[in-house]
Amino acid sequence: MDKKGGIILRVATDIGGTFTDLVAVDDKGRTVLAKSHTTPPNFEEGVINVMKKSGIQPEEITDFIHGTTTIINALTERKGAKTGLITTKGFRDVLEIARCNRPDLFNMVFAKPRPFIPRYLRKEVRGRVNFEGKILTELEEEDIRAAVEFFKKEGAEAIAVCYINSYANDIHERRTVELIRELWPEVFVTSSVEVTREWREYERTSTVALNSYVMPVASSYIDRLDGRIKEIGCDAKEYIMQSNGGTTTFEQAKRTPINMVESGPVAGVYGSAILGKVIGEKNIIAFDVGGTTAKCSLIDGGEVKVTTEYRIERTESYAGYPIMAPVVDIVEIGNGGGSIAWIDEAGSLKVGPQSAGALPGPVAYGIGGTEPTTTDACLVTGRLSPENFDNEVDLDAVKAAIQEKVGDAFGMNVEEAAMSILRVAEANMFNALKLISVRRGYDPRDFTMVAFGGGGPMHCAYLAKELNIRKVVVPIAAPVFSAWGMLMTDVRHDYIQTNIRRMNEVSSEELNQMWDGLLREAHEQFAKEGVDKNQIIFRFIADMRYMGQEHTVKVKVPPVPWTDEVKEEIVNRFHDTHEHFYTFRLPDTPTEIVNLHLVAYGRLMKPSLAPIEPQQGPAEEALKETRKVYFTDEGWLDTPIYEREKLGSGAVLEGPVIVEETAASTVAAKGQRLKVDTYGNLIIETEVQE
Amino acid sequence: MAEIKVNPVTLDIVKDSLIAVSNEVFYAFARTSMSPIIYETLDYASGIADAKGQLLTQGNGACGFIGLIAPMIQEIIAKYGKDNMHPGDVFLINDPYMGGGTHLSDIGMVMPVFYGDELLAFVGNKAHWSDIGGMAAGSFTTDSSEVYQEGLRFSGVKLLNRGDICTPLLEMIKSNVRFPETSEGDMWGQIASLRTGYKRIGELCEKYSLEVVKESMERLLRQGAMIAYNRIKELPKGSWEMEEYMDDDGHGNLVKLKVKVTITEDEFIADFTGSSPQVASPINTGYSSLCAGVKVIYMSILGPALAVNDGVFEPMRILAEDGSVLRCHAPAPTSCYFESMIYSSDIVWKALAPVFPEALGAGHMLSVCSVVLAGTKQGSGEPFLIVEPTGGGWGASDGKDGEVGQFCVGDGETYNVPVEMAENRYGIMIDEYSLHTDGAGAGKYRGGSGAVRTYRAMTDGQLFTASFGRNKFPAWGAAGGKDGSYNYFEFHKADGSMEGPMGIVARKVMNRDDTVRMVTCTGGGYGDPMERDPESVAWDVKNEYISVRQAEEDYGVVVDPETYEVKEVRR
Repeated sequence: MDKKGGIILRVATDIGGTFTDLVAVDDKGRTVLAKSHTTPPNFEEGVINVMKKSGIQPEEITDFIHGTTTIINALTERKGAKTGLITTKGFRDVLEIARCNRPDLFNMVFAKPRPFIPRYLRKEVRGRVNFEGKILTELEEEDIRAAVEFFKKEGAEAIAVCYINSYANDIHERRTVELIRELWPEVFVTSSVEVTREWREYERTSTVALNSYVMPVASSYIDRLDGRIKEIGCDAKEYIMQSNGGTTTFEQAKRTPINMVESGPVAGVYGSAILGKVIGEKNIIAFDVGGTTAKCSLIDGGEVKVTTEYRIERTESYAGYPIMAPVVDIVEIGNGGGSIAWIDEAGSLKVGPQSAGALPGPVAYGIGGTEPTTTDACLVTGRLSPENFDNEVDLDAVKAAIQEKVGDAFGMNVEEAAMSILRVAEANMFNALKLISVRRGYDPRDFTMVAFGGGGPMHCAYLAKELNIRKVVVPIAAPVFSAWGMLMTDVRHDYIQTNIRRMNEVSSEELNQMWDGLLREAHEQFAKEGVDKNQIIFRFIADMRYMGQEHTVKVKVPPVPWTDEVKEEIVNRFHDTHEHFYTFRLPDTPTEIVNLHLVAYGRLMKPSLAPIEPQQGPAEEALKETRKVYFTDEGWLDTPIYEREKLGSGAVLEGPVIVEETAASTVAAKGQRLKVDTYGNLIIETEVQE
Repeated sequence: MAEIKVNPVTLDIVKDSLIAVSNEVFYAFARTSMSPIIYETLDYASGIADAKGQLLTQGNGACGFIGLIAPMIQEIIAKYGKDNMHPGDVFLINDPYMGGGTHLSDIGMVMPVFYGDELLAFVGNKAHWSDIGGMAAGSFTTDSSEVYQEGLRFSGVKLLNRGDICTPLLEMIKSNVRFPETSEGDMWGQIASLRTGYKRIGELCEKYSLEVVKESMERLLRQGAMIAYNRIKELPKGSWEMEEYMDDDGHGNLVKLKVKVTITEDEFIADFTGSSPQVASPINTGYSSLCAGVKVIYMSILGPALAVNDGVFEPMRILAEDGSVLRCHAPAPTSCYFESMIYSSDIVWKALAPVFPEALGAGHMLSVCSVVLAGTKQGSGEPFLIVEPTGGGWGASDGKDGEVGQFCVGDGETYNVPVEMAENRYGIMIDEYSLHTDGAGAGKYRGGSGAVRTYRAMTDGQLFTASFGRNKFPAWGAAGGKDGSYNYFEFHKADGSMEGPMGIVARKVMNRDDTVRMVTCTGGGYGDPMERDPESVAWDVKNEYISVRQAEEDYGVVVDPETYEVKEVRR
């Protein structure tokens, strides 16, 4: 850092479907935003373009953080490598049988997910470990040699290894990978335990299979990106955003690329948690509305929640593919700005999940869209003005689409029809927000909403009021808040170890030993990544349940070492957590630990937020216009429209009011108050009665 | 139709909220259950009905539970009358011969929902308890001859009175089941999820008013019926008949099933008159379950994505003779009721397959292939109990090969127990869990492979019970496709001796290192195998779904056993 004069300059680039975003902050509080087109298939070019466009000097960058859709694209487009699987004798078809479930209950011609690795590339090896980790049969290395020969002959590029019960003892997997590297140094290979040590063979096999499948793609992408960045003179420390809300190094990302599957979307959630810390809010509902979807996630006590029950391509009627890697727990629904309004067979108004996307887009874009969307409804109700669009808006065409496709079906005029579209879209969002809060035992009154993405600021004040949330924050850089979130991340690794033990039988020493193993691993990993020892922070979580149950709840537990008293305290916390989520406790039933989950953070130096200029004089100077806006309860109201850039800290605006910025508009209704805080965040008081 | 006073969009928003409540009630229970049959197999259902007991929305894990919540609620209304119901009441019902009946193992609970003084709805659920007493561990067995051997029977009794548990009843249950803690845990989980539903419906009334909620319930049913009638109008009209034998009744007698399906302008009628009388083995089914079996196929034809409610079922009529194997009465045993119930689905399916090729393919593995294994765990000596279905092959259909290793039509969002979990929890090891690639079910589209699952006993004295239907008649081919194969299991003892194959057994003793190899069938093929793309045939050989010989004999394709290239097509 010395050669850069002690100045920190962190740059985040986030590749999205249409745009590649850049946000940079230095420790003087200077923030730079830039946007450039995404450039498939050579995504790194878009990154370089946006860096150039931002005007930042590459050699001044100290930390480069990157979010990418490369992995999810390779998976959904089936553009990964030809991959072979090595598994325990008798279990060749675990991937193909999967879990035998049929979510599409009444469809007799359903199709279940096809495995990424076809049957002929799945090879069995003798050698067996039991559930306690005891070796019953020794590993037959000749079987491995034969499999490797076969994969070579077939032209495979990657190998995944997963054995039954390897979560309890990974010695056979480790030996197998070692032997494969000897026999075939060029091949990409991973064992399941390198990715996860949770039980359930199908989910673990699927995870490692997908990891190996994307390894070559990830490796070549990361190498190209690294080369290009260096080429333009940037020698920053490089990090990649993972699905767990933290970052990792380029090197580690090449080994476990599957951890990047939700690289971009989770950063906004993490950013919300960080912003919360800055403004003194620990309980947050993060709410992100983009072009095609709305996403929400709950942050309890400052901690972002992760789950290992993630599946790609899952829908209500399709099982999808499990990835047992920690992913920030996000609920996503098909309702965004581009979502299409339509009338179903029963005559009910629906919005989404189909989206007009960027092409043909909403009717308002004037590039061929004929179906009314949420964006069109926002225009007709005055929440958006034609001036918010890059093109000349044909308002008559927008109104005609809404009248014909929605209004006529219900005998409504165009404003009522547009308002109905917004009500249905917001009702969908409301149900998603309830799902992550009320239905999981949380009272929204204890939470602050952080709303971002192009559409979040538009809907947040209304939804928050419906949910009894008192306060909403529309953060700085709201439309590119995911990239902002990346700037604020730390290195993060999750270590999850299945080890089923009854709390009344296991000793605290045994538990401490298990934790020590995970801690050692974390320290080794951080040492490899050059993370300073003093910057390492641990969080301890236990996945627990009542004996006889299968599903677990995550219980925050105290740091090790544990004593018997701590053990007792943990059992009590479990009873409380279970009651919190499921409304009852079983005080006489023994409890079990299923997984130990260590979250390890390597804290990075981060710039602090800089205050914006205080508001000088009346806010009216930022007033852009006054226009009629249609609200649910009051109908048309004359509503002042302000420019966000011109508002200083301390400015106070009374609803109804709209604050516009490039690519987002914040709407507050009558009876709500909007303030600009020290850092330029918009704070809305939703005027909720006690 | 009542005049719409309220904005229809508001009614739709409330309607969707009701469905969201139903989902919440459904998942809340799975997460807390103590029984693998519930939390993995999702062998339960929950639903909401209006004040008359008409089903508004239902969450299903098992497909075969479709529409069973409402008849259960209607029985409770008929028995108690609305004046004898109070906020906080919960009723218990598992009578196989009453509305919503299946087998005693499935415990139904019903809770009336009040807002103020008004009873406006019911929430109900039904879940498979691992044990409800009776002659065999796991309560369902293949050799009972009367219902009294199958466990406790509740014909609609009050379990909670104004929120207070009926302690004598609870004590009686706990004294009569094998795993009282598990059962009590599941009972409270079921009650908690009903209470959640109660609370949420109240919140909806608070937000939108009682009138709006009631009106949106009506709208939901009206819309359901309207869609169903519209779609039926578009279906081909006519009558189609089918007569089949179920494997046997466990005493060597074949059981006849017969159906005539008629579709008119506004009706869908399935008439099972002429089917066998009820039998003295537990494969009888009550009328409600028969209806569920037919509703599954009805839904697949009308549209699998349709919302399930009593409006949608309005055009259906299902006829069966009282006292027949498909509409049995006391004291017929029913613990394996699913065999005849799914056979009823299968013959309706087979009768209609030629009429609706886009919705119905060739025959599938059909049976739940249920396994009950009781014993003690090695080391700790603790008792364990496995109650689970087994996956198998599905038939091919027009344009698509059959699916492999899937549970039967009666299951659904049902999960197998992972090998690693089974070995940890039970006194067994699993030697094999792979596809059963016998190459049966040849066709232009090939039947999906069944599965092989082999359990090794790790302690002495384990008791194995299983009902693998479709052990005498294979999964049928369609449109010129060949038949698939059969379900069976066989015992390989530690001393090297072998017993089987067989399809039904009760409490067979397995000792340390004895194995049972369970094999499920390959589904039926669709279309002439000689029309299958030769490259697909070569790919099937390369992946060992079929043999080189089968490729040549069944498909007329000579495949090189080394390179797996097509050498010659002889057709």
